[in-house]
Amino acid sequence: MANIIANLNKAFDSRIRLGIMSVLMVNDSVDFNTMKELLELTDGNLASHIKALESLGYIRSSKQFIGRKPNTKFIITELGRTSFREHLNALENLIK
Amino acid sequence: MEKQIEDLKAIREMMEKSSKFLSLSGLSGVMAGSTAIVGSAVAYYYILEQPNAVAVPLLILDALLTLFVSISFGVIFSVRKARQRKLKIVNSLTLKIVYNLAIPLAAGGILSIILICRNQIEFVAAITLIFYGLALVNTSKYTLDEIHYLGLTEIVLGICAAVFLYHGIIFWTIGFGFCHIVYGLIMYKKYDLN
Repeated sequence: MANIIANLNKAFDSRIRLGIMSVLMVNDSVDFNTMKELLELTDGNLASHIKALESLGYIRSSKQFIGRKPNTKFIITELGRTSFREHLNALENLIK
Repeated sequence: MEKQIEDLKAIREMMEKSSKFLSLSGLSGVMAGSTAIVGSAVAYYYILEQPNAVAVPLLILDALLTLFVSISFGVIFSVRKARQRKLKIVNSLTLKIVYNLAIPLAAGGILSIILICRNQIEFVAAITLIFYGLALVNTSKYTLDEIHYLGLTEIVLGICAAVFLYHGIIFWTIGFGFCHIVYGLIMYKKYDLN
């Protein structure tokens, strides 16, 4: 049992980070506002979780300008994808 | 244990919500199908009795009106359902859907116009069915699974319409009329009622 729990990734303990990763698993790229609406979050709240996931190397962001407005897009990295899959497997094994 | 089950549920919900448009209402299918049946009945019993020079423009007008009314019903019911679920209607997902629908539909539409201009109107039923089916199959990955099978059905009916060339209107009525109603009812029962 202890071994299975060890496979759970602490970074995905928060429901918000779990949501961000889930969205990025099934979409090529998602911009800041779409993500905010999907998860029903405030700017600051989303930004802090994004920063945490970025510093772990699980997601990548690219900033572009549409006219004068900055538009930040997020993409999942290979590391993020494998880590999230491992976390998913660990969750599924736990409830078996 | 509770938390893990809740986590998995949240993951599945987020994946679906962000990648699939689930507010498509079965009722829009039923209404679109009924409109198509009225449209093709008008064509069959009234327009096709007219001499060719009058019939062709009337047929095009009839088809465009039918198309317009069906799409309006589809949009109205889906907007209503999205509002009930407090979802935004215009977002990156719905734009992707419109784009993916539009490519085969535009190609089929242009091809139909070319065929009409060349006096080969008998192929139009087959072409519209096939390209509409392709549009649905192309879009189905972003919405309910039933749309995929509806698309395949339309493609098969389109090919039948090309084989039995002079009964095109029958297959057209089955494809755009009855199939929409049947799939609409299935979807209504499966998704709207609960």
